Amino acid sequence: MHLASVDYMAANGKSIIHRANPHSKILVALLILIAVIVADSPIKLGLILLYTIVLIAISSPNIKEIGHLALYPVFFSLVFALIKIQQSLVEAIAVILRALAAAMSMLFLITTTPYVDIFSVLSILLPGVIVDIFIFTYRSLFILLDKLSSLFRSVKIRGGYHPIRVFKNIKNMAGMLGIMVIHSFDMSERMYKIFKLRGYKGRLPLTRENRQIRAIDIALVVMSVAILAGVIIKWNN
Amino acid sequence: MSHIHLPDGILDPLIWIGAYFLCLLIMGIVLKAIKIDEAQKKIPFIGILAALMLIFMSVPLGIVPVHLSLAVLTGIVAGPAFGFLAVFVVNIILALIGHGGITVVGLNTLIVGSEAVIGYYLFNLLTRRLKPGLSAIFSTIIALVISTSLMLGVVTLTVGPQEALPGHSHDSDIHSGEESSTDIHNDHNDHTDHEESLSEALEEINYLSLTGWAALVAILLVGIFLEAFATSLIVSFFSRVRPDLISRP
Repeated sequence: MHLASVDYMAANGKSIIHRANPHSKILVALLILIAVIVADSPIKLGLILLYTIVLIAISSPNIKEIGHLALYPVFFSLVFALIKIQQSLVEAIAVILRALAAAMSMLFLITTTPYVDIFSVLSILLPGVIVDIFIFTYRSLFILLDKLSSLFRSVKIRGGYHPIRVFKNIKNMAGMLGIMVIHSFDMSERMYKIFKLRGYKGRLPLTRENRQIRAIDIALVVMSVAILAGVIIKWNN
Repeated sequence: MSHIHLPDGILDPLIWIGAYFLCLLIMGIVLKAIKIDEAQKKIPFIGILAALMLIFMSVPLGIVPVHLSLAVLTGIVAGPAFGFLAVFVVNIILALIGHGGITVVGLNTLIVGSEAVIGYYLFNLLTRRLKPGLSAIFSTIIALVISTSLMLGVVTLTVGPQEALPGHSHDSDIHSGEESSTDIHNDHNDHTDHEESLSEALEEINYLSLTGWAALVAILLVGIFLEAFATSLIVSFFSRVRPDLISRP
């Protein structure tokens, strides 16, 4: 699953962007997203895309994995681009560039910022219940992924998964999931008791260690604001 | 199942901003309605259910290009309020890894969340008369048909009704495009032309052709059936092993 490799990139990256403040990286991703939505020409969108590619290249995580993730928005935007191409080739190109640049801005954020840091910033805005669900989802994901992958391997070894036998796949996956949900229910009860013993009262405390504003934070925000301003300004007039 | 994989920048801002607003409004109501003690106990389980949704959304079902979403099952097990919150969390995480845009999260939560809410209420209604497995099949099918219709409605709003018709040819578009470039119409005429071209397109439909949107609908129907089948099997399994997970006080 991609989430595991994305998490590895975010947590183990040593680049200058990885060390930047999560607040500034979230702000940069938002500024890029606004610029992508506002941009009205393929040239502007192409420049924004180039900016996101440069940011990702500097942070130097697994380019192949990011390329793989970027294929999803490209594929889905292609469907709409094919419809738009009947009206205008420029609009069709803009659709693909817009989708790709927006996705790259999100990928820049999650491949350079650990989820906990993102949730920590989100906890300022979101209610405690939602933030707690985020954290428990994230925590359970890797435990379940591990359990499911060994369960899935044993199903495969016993001939329980075949690409053509869809119904048999569903039946076996349903059995797998049934066992997993029951295990998960017991696991969640145990988890709740452990957290309750540690003083859980409905909101998990999140520490924000990386609060320092460095030169890289200022540089990233200034560049992103400049790009947004460049997109908004009508250069032809 | 009906998760919209639309990237950012394709949907009309009016649609996605409106959807975000509605989604946040529903979440606000849900958060006010739930009891803190109940929430504290349920949060770890909701997190696990959301994680399972995320995992199963990433496993394709062999040759069929669809995946399970388990939104109805989440609704049945967790209840409509927590099911809706779980769907929101899942959509945010999916958007962060490029599965659907971040601007589409509100809309996706409303559509996939509707599966959890409708599925829960239908399941509770049907289990009074039917066995849990059968109730799960019917409630999943109905919930998915509604959410898929909502999804197709959004896609139709985005690309225009003519493009959403099965077997529609673009020749008529090009033709009308040429006409509009040579003739100057007033607003009324434009509107009439639009209606005429839509009715012409409706007449030209070959409903039996399995291409484009018709093929997409066929795939979605297969997906609905598979999700209903899987949900029913899981619910039947629960009714035998842990009936307390699906029974209501």
